[in-house]
Amino acid sequence: MTRYELPAVVVEHRQRATNQYELILHAPPIAERAMPGQFVMLRPMRTHAPLWRRPYSILRANPDKGVFSVFYSVQSVFTELLSLKPIGSTVQTLGPLGSYFVPVRTAQRHILVAGGVGAPPLCFFASRLAPTLQAGEQLLILAGARRRDLLVGLDEFRALGAEVRIATDDGSHGYPGYVTDLLQHALEDPINSAVYACGPNRMLKVVARLCLAHGVPCQVSLDAPMPCGIGVCLGCAVKVAMPDGGVWYTRACIEGPVFRAEEVVWE
Amino acid sequence: MTPDLQVSLGKLHLRNPVMVAAGTFGYGLEYRDWVDLAQLGAVVTKSLTLTPRMGNPPPRVAETPAGMLNAVGLQNDGVDAFLLETLPRLRETGAIVIASVAGETVDEYVQVAAKLSRVEGIAALELNLSCPNQARGGMEFGLQPDLIAQVVATVRQTTDLPLIAKLSPNGGEITPFAQAAVEAGADILCLINTVLGVAVDAQARQFRLASKVGGLSGPAIKPIAQYHLWRVRQSLPDTPLIGVGGISSVEDAIEFLLLGAHAIQVGTANYVQPTLAMEIVDGLRNYLATHGFPSIEAIRGLVS
Repeated sequence: MTRYELPAVVVEHRQRATNQYELILHAPPIAERAMPGQFVMLRPMRTHAPLWRRPYSILRANPDKGVFSVFYSVQSVFTELLSLKPIGSTVQTLGPLGSYFVPVRTAQRHILVAGGVGAPPLCFFASRLAPTLQAGEQLLILAGARRRDLLVGLDEFRALGAEVRIATDDGSHGYPGYVTDLLQHALEDPINSAVYACGPNRMLKVVARLCLAHGVPCQVSLDAPMPCGIGVCLGCAVKVAMPDGGVWYTRACIEGPVFRAEEVVWE
Repeated sequence: MTPDLQVSLGKLHLRNPVMVAAGTFGYGLEYRDWVDLAQLGAVVTKSLTLTPRMGNPPPRVAETPAGMLNAVGLQNDGVDAFLLETLPRLRETGAIVIASVAGETVDEYVQVAAKLSRVEGIAALELNLSCPNQARGGMEFGLQPDLIAQVVATVRQTTDLPLIAKLSPNGGEITPFAQAAVEAGADILCLINTVLGVAVDAQARQFRLASKVGGLSGPAIKPIAQYHLWRVRQSLPDTPLIGVGGISSVEDAIEFLLLGAHAIQVGTANYVQPTLAMEIVDGLRNYLATHGFPSIEAIRGLVS
């Protein structure tokens, strides 16, 4: 798949919550090709510190308008630089990168498990999946975060007609506890399901274990430190099981970030 | 008049002095979407070992002020897979290919070098005598002049290709190591490899790399690289030098040439600006034209 390195034009910083923004960028080649689960590497300025670009999952893409967006919260020098980019200025952008979520067409119920800032790629996935569902197919969103104000994308999910169940660690909204508790409960329903998850790696590990135990196909989007995003630095190593029975380090930026749960060697 | 960008490092003739550093450009093919590899001075492959290496456990990389630490541990598919699958595709691009050779023993260096010397399409060998991310070999060789001499001399007997010794800055002054490499038969020196460092996560109260120690690269090490290049230039004025360490712009590249480098390598900057090496080629041409220099040679060593 073709990857582009281009100056994307800032269209809008749309405030989503305190300190949280959706950055809308105009870059037609990327908007046209982006698949849910894929990401871009952004570089707001040619700085030495911060040095690395940062990976951002694509939150939505509109090929007709040539725009796509990413979600960010201002919490570092990098995100502050990003937030200061004026409308009409450009952000050097590499993308679209990586693997993507693939709908399991045999499933009757699609369960999307979103942990905190892991929600954006699942918003994108849900928006592409919902219009393709057949009669009787269900879309269930399980969204979790530490606190109520850290939940992302609930309005988007609801607008798609999905059932949304919420968990917060501090009990400030929905079920008090982990989103994986909601998943465990959901998987007790014998309906034929498939799971797609993005969130902290420790959450994904639990999601993978639950799905493997229930024989439910599961795709996870993994997080890893990512200096390059194009497969050369080998920094974003993920341990995977090889067909010959051995293990190897593969790359979250090329072979991932979306992996089948059974591929990953969970440690 | 268009300035002449060609450079000769002994028997190694390059269309321009801009190379990409081992381990920062994959096998080159990963960059084809953005870079015409035939326009680069040379592509240095990631280091090749006799058998596939899985590398170190993650986290393997950490961002630091104006730099990064890595402890990837020479993950690669091994020299046989490179020769069978990668080199034929790389040759189709028209790239000048320099193979980086690594090993844990003198014999491993020699076996890898021998395999690479038996095929068409390799312009030179670069001996990685300085990788900090191996339990054995690599920098262990690079910090003992007698071991450097042994590796270089033994490989020298197995190949007619130009031999580049890539040296570590982690043993203090590089000059004794440089002299040992040249006396043992190295044609060209490449300096520097990464600088040892650690990084700590204050919140998690642990090292940020699983291997604890990594190699520092990026703009932060540019003055260190330039110091060593300048010092080695003084003691070995007749040996072609390749400068590497923190080059992030055409200005940086020019600085190394002014200090006496015959060629330069772009390293960590390839991660953040995949087109940078090409920008430097164009920028060098503009610099020479703007200042009325006919060639790269005309500016080499002007700052001494």
